[in-house]
Amino acid sequence: MAGKDRKQAPVIPSVNGSENAVAPEVAVAFLKSTMPFKELDDQALRDLALHCKIDFFPKGTRLLTYNESDITHLYLIQRGGVRAFITDDDGDIVLKDYRGVGSNIGALGIIRGTKANLNIETVEDTFCYLIPRDIFKELVRSVSAISHYYLKNFSDNVVATAYTELRKNKLTRRPTEELLLFNTKAGELSKPLFSVSATTSIQESGMIMARQGIGSLLVYVDEDPGSMIGIITDTDFRSKVIAEGRDIRGPVSSIMSSPLKTVPADMLCFDVLLKMMTTSIHHLGVEQSGRVTGVITSHDIMVQQGNSPYYLFKEISAQSEFEGLYLLSKKISGLVRNILKEGAKAGDISRMITLINERILARILVLLHDQLGPAPVRYSWLMFGSEGRNEQTFKTDQDNGIIYRDPEPRQQKEVENYFRMFGEQATYHLLKCGYPSCKDNVMASNPLWCRSMSSWKEQFSHWIGEAGRHDQLGASIFFDFRHAYGTEQLAVDLRDHIITCCRQKNTIIENLGRNFLSLRAPLSFFQQFVVEQNGDHKDWLDIKMRGLAPFVDFARILSLKYGIRQTNTLIRLKRLSARMKLDKSFYLEMVDAYELQLQLRVIHQLSQIEQGKEPDDFIYPEELSDLEKRMLKDGFSVIGRMQNLMAKEIAEA
Amino acid sequence: MGILNTISRLRGRDRLIVSNNRSFARFDYRKQLTDYTYVVFDTELTGLNRKKDEIIAIGAVRIRDLQIDLGETFHYYVKPQNRDHTRATLIHRITPQQLEEAPPLETVLPLFLKFIEEDLLVGHYVPIDTGFLDRATRKLYNGTIANPSLDTMRMAQIYKRMVLGDYHGSQQVADGRYNLQRLSTELNLPYFEAHDALEDALQTAYLFIFLVKKLHSVGIRTIRELFAAGKELAHTARTPDGV
Repeated sequence: MAGKDRKQAPVIPSVNGSENAVAPEVAVAFLKSTMPFKELDDQALRDLALHCKIDFFPKGTRLLTYNESDITHLYLIQRGGVRAFITDDDGDIVLKDYRGVGSNIGALGIIRGTKANLNIETVEDTFCYLIPRDIFKELVRSVSAISHYYLKNFSDNVVATAYTELRKNKLTRRPTEELLLFNTKAGELSKPLFSVSATTSIQESGMIMARQGIGSLLVYVDEDPGSMIGIITDTDFRSKVIAEGRDIRGPVSSIMSSPLKTVPADMLCFDVLLKMMTTSIHHLGVEQSGRVTGVITSHDIMVQQGNSPYYLFKEISAQSEFEGLYLLSKKISGLVRNILKEGAKAGDISRMITLINERILARILVLLHDQLGPAPVRYSWLMFGSEGRNEQTFKTDQDNGIIYRDPEPRQQKEVENYFRMFGEQATYHLLKCGYPSCKDNVMASNPLWCRSMSSWKEQFSHWIGEAGRHDQLGASIFFDFRHAYGTEQLAVDLRDHIITCCRQKNTIIENLGRNFLSLRAPLSFFQQFVVEQNGDHKDWLDIKMRGLAPFVDFARILSLKYGIRQTNTLIRLKRLSARMKLDKSFYLEMVDAYELQLQLRVIHQLSQIEQGKEPDDFIYPEELSDLEKRMLKDGFSVIGRMQNLMAKEIAEA
Repeated sequence: MGILNTISRLRGRDRLIVSNNRSFARFDYRKQLTDYTYVVFDTELTGLNRKKDEIIAIGAVRIRDLQIDLGETFHYYVKPQNRDHTRATLIHRITPQQLEEAPPLETVLPLFLKFIEEDLLVGHYVPIDTGFLDRATRKLYNGTIANPSLDTMRMAQIYKRMVLGDYHGSQQVADGRYNLQRLSTELNLPYFEAHDALEDALQTAYLFIFLVKKLHSVGIRTIRELFAAGKELAHTARTPDGV
């Protein structure tokens, strides 16, 4: 951002006929306390305050409706809170998030000029400052600190959609360079030009794009290959050709976007992105001395930006030394902070961290195979516990193991030796990458958890048969195993074995279920929460054990009963809801309560990391806003209903 | 100047007052509360004695479409006639210096009347403020303005009675439970330490839009319905009349 701040004073026009109007100091102070308006100088804040209106929305007021409401102003919450939700294809309400004091609503819609992209409803009596749309747009356009704030929002969305592409796309090696938005020009990032004449058929254009591996193609007038009149992108094929059932022999000009929007080659990437943000056009031509010489996309820019997940992901894949991986893994928490700051959900973060962790693991194992030679038999690297459920937030202890295919008897020793060495070295490198050793030594380096297929099956048969007699909780993390690297079929076979065993011996459901029933629901008594009564964490709420664990246990136990293979708690709940025909609102209450807690935990841990502390799960109730407390309390009340349901399930079993 | 003023005063009420009163002659009390424009105001006084005390500040903010418009505010300090008052004003968050430099009421009052135009007046325990206002206009213009005024304190009593089912309103007024700060806290409104009359007016404005929208849910939707509820309250609780 350095050097790009413009003068703020003339940004906001004066209000007509209000020469004498003075904004109350408290209004200025309020604006100054919110992001991103705190970036404005005092005069600009005063001017802005004069344009604000204050409105009151009683609890339950619908502020915006998805795809219907025009957003006429930005809402800035001064008191109260709202929930943002969408309705999915089945008509179910999917909660996206809650926003409280100091948050704003409608920014992205205004910037992109679209209708509301979420439904917004007040969950308590709410007062909002209203900033008129045009004033807000002007601020975004002319104050770089503000545009930057929303730009990050925007770029995270781009990055989120990029995830799905991550695994499919081959990742090519590129020189490591940190490109910053403010010192890179459009011309430096633009891709070479591919173009066709306007009369080329749609099919032929598609073939060219496929052959060249490109996502867009420029279109020129027949007689003049130098003058571009439009562009087609992958999206055009989807929305105009397939969706509309067009004839692919027709001319490409019939599906192109025209005219082609361009930027000069010497425009800063920052301004290019800004243009993309405000126009919602993600493919722009790059123009040099009057000629279009290339194409630039928002994706190209984000990929190059130093702190994007994509960038880190690529770098990990490109590492050929363990030491390089150690260094890269240090970047994860900074990255999480960046995307969380802009409102990423706990779910997004888990997904991202999972991908990055898997990538680091895969890289370590590949490098190890280079050193130790290929594995003598096929194997699957397993993750247990929260990693097995895809639910880790920040780096958690290693919980891992290996299944390998039963070796021939004569091979036995050699195979055992190979995997022992392999497991020891892999866990060592993981440790150096910042994944601490498991306190209970559930790691691939421990021969107990690095075993052949038949040995694993025996182990699970034993747990399922013995469960309830001793230590069933110690074993429960193993039931949440997930394949992370190697041959997935081995993990699938093991899961089949467990499902069969549970069907035959359902005492495990009964025993685990009874244990679940004995949990204390974390409601009331002390400051509305059950908090820890003893030890170092007296008066704190252990959000993992008291809050999240009941949901995880509930989902695991019933998944065992109903033969559900998934390990992720939210997915398990979804499957269970369908299988058991659960009441929709009950299901959604569970999901909301669980997601809210995940979110609170991420925020709590992040603030600890920022303060240089080790992240933990102990939340002091005072850290929470009133709204959060109440939502949390509401969320806990669903645990009682889960216990009732479990009691019924046990009785049936 | 002085002579001309005196003459026009002798001739009768000031034109400002006449046209004001004319425009309220056929005031429609049946419109929805949302359809009026309001000026929420607060005065700072040297004391509560109508004979001796004076207005030393006026703060006001307009409400249109039931939204507080921060671009339409009014805030003036007023230089008191009695110089003793200048010295005794520290408790009013105003320094003697500020009052010395302030314009006199003759200057501020017409600006204020121009600001409020034909809007409805709103204040917290508004009879005090309108009382001083009337005294000032009588003295300067030989008449009083006819803008109806709404009292957020009385509205809060109605709210508590009708929405919350609290029947102890009148006793509580004496306890100070209806003072602006305590109400704002109790009703969970944005609350701040008000520094001047403008911020007091703003605080009252928050209370006002809250009450209007809340009372809407129990069927009080027009000025007439609001006044009727106020009368009923006055009748059963034996408090002075007028919402």
